Amino acid sequence: MTTGALTQPAESRPVGSLLANMFWGTSFRAKLTAGIVILLIWQVGVTLFAPAFVATPIGVAMAFPSVITSKVFLVASKGTLFAVFQGLAIALVFGTVVGVAMGRLKVLDRALNFYVSGFYTMPMIALLPLLTIWFGYGGDARLATVVFAAFFSIVINVRDGARSVPPEYLEVCKAYRAPARYVWFDITVFSSLPYLIAGFRLAAGRALVAAVIAEFFVSLQDGVGMFVLFNARNFNHDVAVVGVFALVAFGLMFEITMNWATRRFFPWYRRETKAD
Amino acid sequence: MDRVLTFVNSDRPYVRWGTVLLALLIGGVIWEIVGLQFNQAIMAPLIGDGVDHPGTLPRLGRYLFDDEEYLLSLVQSIQLFATGFGLALAVALPFGIILARLVMLRVALESYILMLYVTPMIALIPFILSILGFDFWPKVLVVYLFAFFPILYNTLEGARSVKPELLEVAKSFRSSELAIWTDILIPYTLPYALTGIRQAAGRALVGMVAAEFFLSTSGLGEELQTASRNFDMAGVLATILVITGLGITFMKIAGVFEQKFSAWRGLDR
Repeated sequence: MTTGALTQPAESRPVGSLLANMFWGTSFRAKLTAGIVILLIWQVGVTLFAPAFVATPIGVAMAFPSVITSKVFLVASKGTLFAVFQGLAIALVFGTVVGVAMGRLKVLDRALNFYVSGFYTMPMIALLPLLTIWFGYGGDARLATVVFAAFFSIVINVRDGARSVPPEYLEVCKAYRAPARYVWFDITVFSSLPYLIAGFRLAAGRALVAAVIAEFFVSLQDGVGMFVLFNARNFNHDVAVVGVFALVAFGLMFEITMNWATRRFFPWYRRETKAD
Repeated sequence: MDRVLTFVNSDRPYVRWGTVLLALLIGGVIWEIVGLQFNQAIMAPLIGDGVDHPGTLPRLGRYLFDDEEYLLSLVQSIQLFATGFGLALAVALPFGIILARLVMLRVALESYILMLYVTPMIALIPFILSILGFDFWPKVLVVYLFAFFPILYNTLEGARSVKPELLEVAKSFRSSELAIWTDILIPYTLPYALTGIRQAAGRALVGMVAAEFFLSTSGLGEELQTASRNFDMAGVLATILVITGLGITFMKIAGVFEQKFSAWRGLDR
């Protein structure tokens, strides 16, 4: 346990690298045993006590190859992933602008804080009926939900980042009479990048959940959420579980990409959270 | 220009509160104007004229003070939340602390717990629906699942912060099991667990609404569905405000505890 992990909120911690460390770290055997025991309990428990349609590990493993190559599943994954990326991109651009402005200008911070933290705490699922009426029962409603879910966590994190610019930098800027655009784009944006990444990671998780909720609510055909719902309703639980695994995989994939990109492009931002 | 900026950014109390009030006022006015512009099936104004454009605030007032049925829904929702959340607490906290005590078990299980923590629980709702059906307890299970893993994951985080040396010293002085729990395990894991509890409060609220949407409709979720089916935007917005209010209340309560105990983190660092 290092100090870095203590100062960060749990949700912004890099889950992907933690997971990798845990797996390939010490006592791999204990983990393997635990995994086998869990799978055994699941298999035996379901065959003994549950109706026949409930998913079992063996059933899922059998269904796995045919599902991930099926066209329906690929279209569904593409739909969800595309909506999530599009929404994240929109939220990232506007969220960064608003967040940096709020962090630099106290007046904006005071004016918008109520709205930003209000919308941030507002459960996005409650807004779904409203968003479906505004954007129609289709892909637009899903995109809007994703943007809404992602936007405010990015704003909040970028604002915190823009606020915590080392004062020496700003003093140097002032001493050399640097124009405002340098202060904003060369100093503030760059020194709030770690916060931006933390916010983006948080936003990605929320965006994925938002996309799935929206798919449930709108009954959107091209989505993993609907894929799961449809197969679960038709008692193809083995197939539906593969959909859930796909969602987990999307989340983890994103984490891993973020970790890699951070190391590759922002090597000066050293993350201190490592499982030991 | 510069002087204006310095003025509005200054820390004088009347500037500070003036900005906040002005922003609230502007927001309210925009809401009101937009609401009056559009059809009541698309957007409801804040106050409204009560005829063609029923307002959100009057509706909120009626819901909270003059509508027994709505209050019943509210109570129903809170019941659902409290049952699921309470059960999650009652299981996750002791389990997390046991994992702090049994290091080997922790090492064996933590990666699986982490995996379940990142699983979007919302995707499990269809399974719960088709296996357990429509009842009160399946909905409790949804809230429980939403709340359980944040609490357990963060408690586990606390469990990892327990120093092995402390447990060794306790062992070599033949400390009683009770003393180990009250003096080492609980003080170390509690601050982390409380972070998890605050997180879980937010997630469980989403779980509550999701359960009320997608399983048997009831409570605030049902009110929201009914209002949106009737294109009664004032009702939708008022219910959203109620749900947000609930969320803020739950998170504030959890946040107070978190603040209170966060000083325990890294006592001897």
